[in-house]
Amino acid sequence: MTEATAKPTNIFSSPPSPSGIQEKIVEVRNITKRFPGVTALDNVSIDIRKGEVLALLGENGAGKSTLVKILYGIYTPDGGEIIVEGRKVSINDPKDAIGLGIVMVSQSPQLIDSLSVSENIIIGLKRYHVISPVSRVEEYVKKISEEVGIKIDPRVKVWHLSYTQKQLVEILRAILLGARVLLLDEAITYLPLEEKKKFYKFIRRFADQGGSVVLITHKIYEAMDVADRITVLRKGRVVGTVEKASTTIDEIRKMMFGERAKEISYERLPLSTPEEKYVLSIKDLWVRGDFGEFIVRGVNINVKAGEVVGIAGVAGNGQRELIQAIIGLRKVERGKIIFLDKDVTNKGTKHLRKLGVGYIPDIPVKYGVSLDNTIMENLAILPTFANFYIDWGKIKDLAKKLIDEYKIMTPSPATPVKLLSGGNIMKVLVSRELTVARNLLVAYNPTRALDEATAIKVRKIIKEKAMRDKVAVLFASEDLDEVMQLSDRILVINSGKIVGEFTAEEAERGKIEKLMVM
Amino acid sequence: MIDMILEIAPVFITYYLVALGHGFFEKSGVLNLAIDGLFIVAASVAFVGAVYTLNPWVGVLSAAVITALFGVFLAYVTTKFPVSHGAVGLSLMFLGYGIGLIFGIPANFYANSQRIKSADYTFRITPDVEVMMFIIPIIIGFLLLYILNYTKLGASIRAAGENPHAAAALGVDVLRTRLIAGAIGYALIGVGGAFFTLAWRSGWDPKIYLLGYGWLAFAISLSAGRHPLVTAINAGIFATLVKYQYLIQTTTGISTEVAKMLPFIAAIIAMVIFNVTPLRRILAPPASLGKIYYKEEKTV
Amino acid sequence: MIHLIVVKRIKPIPFSGFLIPLISLITGLLLSGIILYLSSGISFIDLMATILTAFRSPTVVKDTLILTLVGISLVLAFTGAVWNIGSEGQIHMGMMVSAWTALFSALADIPILAKIVGILLAAILGAFWAFIAGVLRAYAKVDEVPVTLMLNYIAYYILDMLVYGPWRGKRTWGYIRTDEIPKILRFQRILNTTATWEALILVIITGILVWLLLRYTTIGLRIRVLGSNPDILRSAGISVPLTIVMALTLSGLISGIVGSVYFFGDTYRLSYPLEEHTANYGYLGILVAWLSMLDIRAVPVAAYIVSSLRISGTLMQIGGLGGVETMFVFIGSVLLTYSIVRIFSEYSVKIRF
Repeated sequence: MTEATAKPTNIFSSPPSPSGIQEKIVEVRNITKRFPGVTALDNVSIDIRKGEVLALLGENGAGKSTLVKILYGIYTPDGGEIIVEGRKVSINDPKDAIGLGIVMVSQSPQLIDSLSVSENIIIGLKRYHVISPVSRVEEYVKKISEEVGIKIDPRVKVWHLSYTQKQLVEILRAILLGARVLLLDEAITYLPLEEKKKFYKFIRRFADQGGSVVLITHKIYEAMDVADRITVLRKGRVVGTVEKASTTIDEIRKMMFGERAKEISYERLPLSTPEEKYVLSIKDLWVRGDFGEFIVRGVNINVKAGEVVGIAGVAGNGQRELIQAIIGLRKVERGKIIFLDKDVTNKGTKHLRKLGVGYIPDIPVKYGVSLDNTIMENLAILPTFANFYIDWGKIKDLAKKLIDEYKIMTPSPATPVKLLSGGNIMKVLVSRELTVARNLLVAYNPTRALDEATAIKVRKIIKEKAMRDKVAVLFASEDLDEVMQLSDRILVINSGKIVGEFTAEEAERGKIEKLMVM
Repeated sequence: MIDMILEIAPVFITYYLVALGHGFFEKSGVLNLAIDGLFIVAASVAFVGAVYTLNPWVGVLSAAVITALFGVFLAYVTTKFPVSHGAVGLSLMFLGYGIGLIFGIPANFYANSQRIKSADYTFRITPDVEVMMFIIPIIIGFLLLYILNYTKLGASIRAAGENPHAAAALGVDVLRTRLIAGAIGYALIGVGGAFFTLAWRSGWDPKIYLLGYGWLAFAISLSAGRHPLVTAINAGIFATLVKYQYLIQTTTGISTEVAKMLPFIAAIIAMVIFNVTPLRRILAPPASLGKIYYKEEKTV
Repeated sequence: MIHLIVVKRIKPIPFSGFLIPLISLITGLLLSGIILYLSSGISFIDLMATILTAFRSPTVVKDTLILTLVGISLVLAFTGAVWNIGSEGQIHMGMMVSAWTALFSALADIPILAKIVGILLAAILGAFWAFIAGVLRAYAKVDEVPVTLMLNYIAYYILDMLVYGPWRGKRTWGYIRTDEIPKILRFQRILNTTATWEALILVIITGILVWLLLRYTTIGLRIRVLGSNPDILRSAGISVPLTIVMALTLSGLISGIVGSVYFFGDTYRLSYPLEEHTANYGYLGILVAWLSMLDIRAVPVAAYIVSSLRISGTLMQIGGLGGVETMFVFIGSVLLTYSIVRIFSEYSVKIRF
């Protein structure tokens, strides 16, 4: 699928208003939203104008995603109102939002893999009645996609598409749904620059034709690249709104982080000096993906004791499956994994855990901790800490030690993990895994969804563990900033193969991004 | 030989329609553990309707309507509230047994006291009728297959079954979709159960709740991957097994009880075969089947 | 248009462990009352009066003990989110092998051995019956609900085959059933009740052991985490299939013992057809386990309540089926209200116009 050069068509029936005077299309007034344990939004008011690109900037946990989900009908506010084109509205469902012309595209595609592109699109289009044949929408999809500059066969089942293609289809879907306000919830944050530029072009055109784009992101440079105005949220409150043209990165950083702005630095952490001993050697590894095809295609990696190796790559290029295979959660079809000179290929997770391998999975609340259980129970479940009979006294001591060392905010070691804040849940997980990891730590997106301060702290802790205890660390991350900050050595994965290797000193962002896309 | 095949017809139409309706409903993501109880409701309501009006079609219609109401209720509760599909399903199963018995027993007394014979209120089965009992359900099967794979409704149902959160974000009215799937699916279950009383057994007795035939339909649908046409094949096989239980007994010399066990053993084997072979990948069950649906899932 | 919106509570409701079963019971009984009134004209007052009588029925202690044991068995499985609907079958397999021990084995002449071996074999058979379903769920990923249910039917038919055939008794007055076991082989009654000492001892021992298992052993913790989040078990290196099998097998073991208690302490014989003579303890146990909110300490209370409901069903005798129809209405109604009421401890419903 390519992006053909298109003749820009005016998708909107009414031309944009004369420049200088921009009407508001959506107003959010005094919105409040509370979840158990945290107030996500506190009296937030923003406005979205026609024909503009508004960046909603804030660190993870600031509430921007919550606000956007309220606009899209996924969450219901506890207080406040939403006004669309001067009329107060009640958005209870995404289809209400779509009816008002508000469409959201999020970071992970919402498209349903086992359905075709046409099917994914027609189910949201009100104008087709219930028994319409799906084929009726195909022509329309083809027409609009050509106008916008995306070439795609609408009958293709979505699981065949790459991440970038899926996001493009999501944009297409938004247009087909008649979007006037496009909410991009971190939708392009994890794309390499080349791909991002395609979306920037499209966003600009959309706005120039009178539509509105709300770009939600936690990356300042993304906001600075494409936005007209920037609204900054911090801890559930609006700090302020500035014009991109008249602000600086420093001013924005201060707005985002307040006093802690000094702590937040994306500078590379000090390099560790690894020992000359190989802890992990992966030889010619082949692993299958969820749909049966090979997604890891002959990967070779060596990690020394005390070395931090980071794998950079766009989502869906095999890094998730690679990490899963290393920790024993996915079958290795071909190749070997050698750990401390012993062949551990396909020997199972238990074997590895016993040998002192720690694991920080993607989506930790799903795969790393049990929310309904207490901190103590989340420790005792690891065979490292209890093996037939549970000595709760010992577990409690361990829990207290970790709570102290990592400054975990919790009423007690017997608190159910679900009552902790996101950052503290992560600390429980990381502290536990770093305790288990006597020799190797394997991780995937170790700090995703954490607020910046906690994320940087976690990275520092991991780096220290490598430096001090000579633990080998192999991690993959969709966030290139994280890879660059944390690694001693950087590998780039693309289509299941390692296509580039850089030491931290020689690593150049531009080169890496090129390899990520190719 | 043709007679032998045709005689299966009333058994086939019962199993096939029940399994078909069940499978269609489950495609929308709701785990349907109520099936056996609602089978009894359908069979009993059909009996009550037919006995008091001496018209089997009234029985079929009333069974379809009442059973469909239960289906709509199940779809509503599991989509609107974050309840366990299994717990609600099982509770409706028990309720179904109870309600079927409680309304059927007085109707049974009435029939006996009025000396109403089964021929007065059940279908007359002739070879022509038997042929229709094969053809019409299969036509319905084709219709459902078309709806599922070629229409917006079908795409919405499958979307809701794969991932209701994504479906909602894509603009699907998940509640309405599941309500429709529940109404259609359970109406079919109602008709199938009605034919059990009015065509297959030609009568009703309280002990039918002990049969477990709803669960056989469950297994038929599951092992067919809920595919409307493959379900027909499975239904045909099980119908043969059950109809000719006596024949199997006499030719192989096994006892009645062992013969009664066979369909259940076959059902377990069928479900295992489906799950361990590539069948499970080709005719994949809905990914979110039975998952509790709560809109405001908050992640870290 | 009225919109119902379900939102997570900021603070959970206090005393929910007690309020939820209470409200479920009350609303469930209301629903049952409506159904019974519409179908059989039984007024709500009569219904409540019958239930209150049942609370003091002579057989309620025996039923409570049995249902406590079933409840413990199911709490163990349900804690791991393993839905053992096959307790009926496991109980009957226990009954079968107890009958064999007492009537047809060489041990029949040594009462104390017969009883002990009967109980042990019942535990083993019950465990085995559940093990089948456990393995099929764990390794073939077949949902345990239809499998355990079908094994119930198969168990009934196995016993039917035996009782109709080789096990038919000599002194049965025309009924198809086994002989009764002699008095020395029966469990010892407590005072003037129909409950037995053996049952009481077994209940206490099992209760304590299961409670210790869940709180102080890794198996117990794994079963608990299996119920809250099986994914983390995998990440920790623990075999999820093995844990599933353990949970179901242990549950079946206890249900098997129930079979021996019921046989040696209550029916003393097997009557054909088994499916028509069953007391349905396996299904009633499901309600007991849920009403006790999966807390072992609450099981005896829940068992007492459910026993009374069952007995009141037999007292009302609506359809000539011995109260089965009413029992199903009770179980179904209370289980339905329970499944809905319990979400309100964590969620609340807002109404928007």
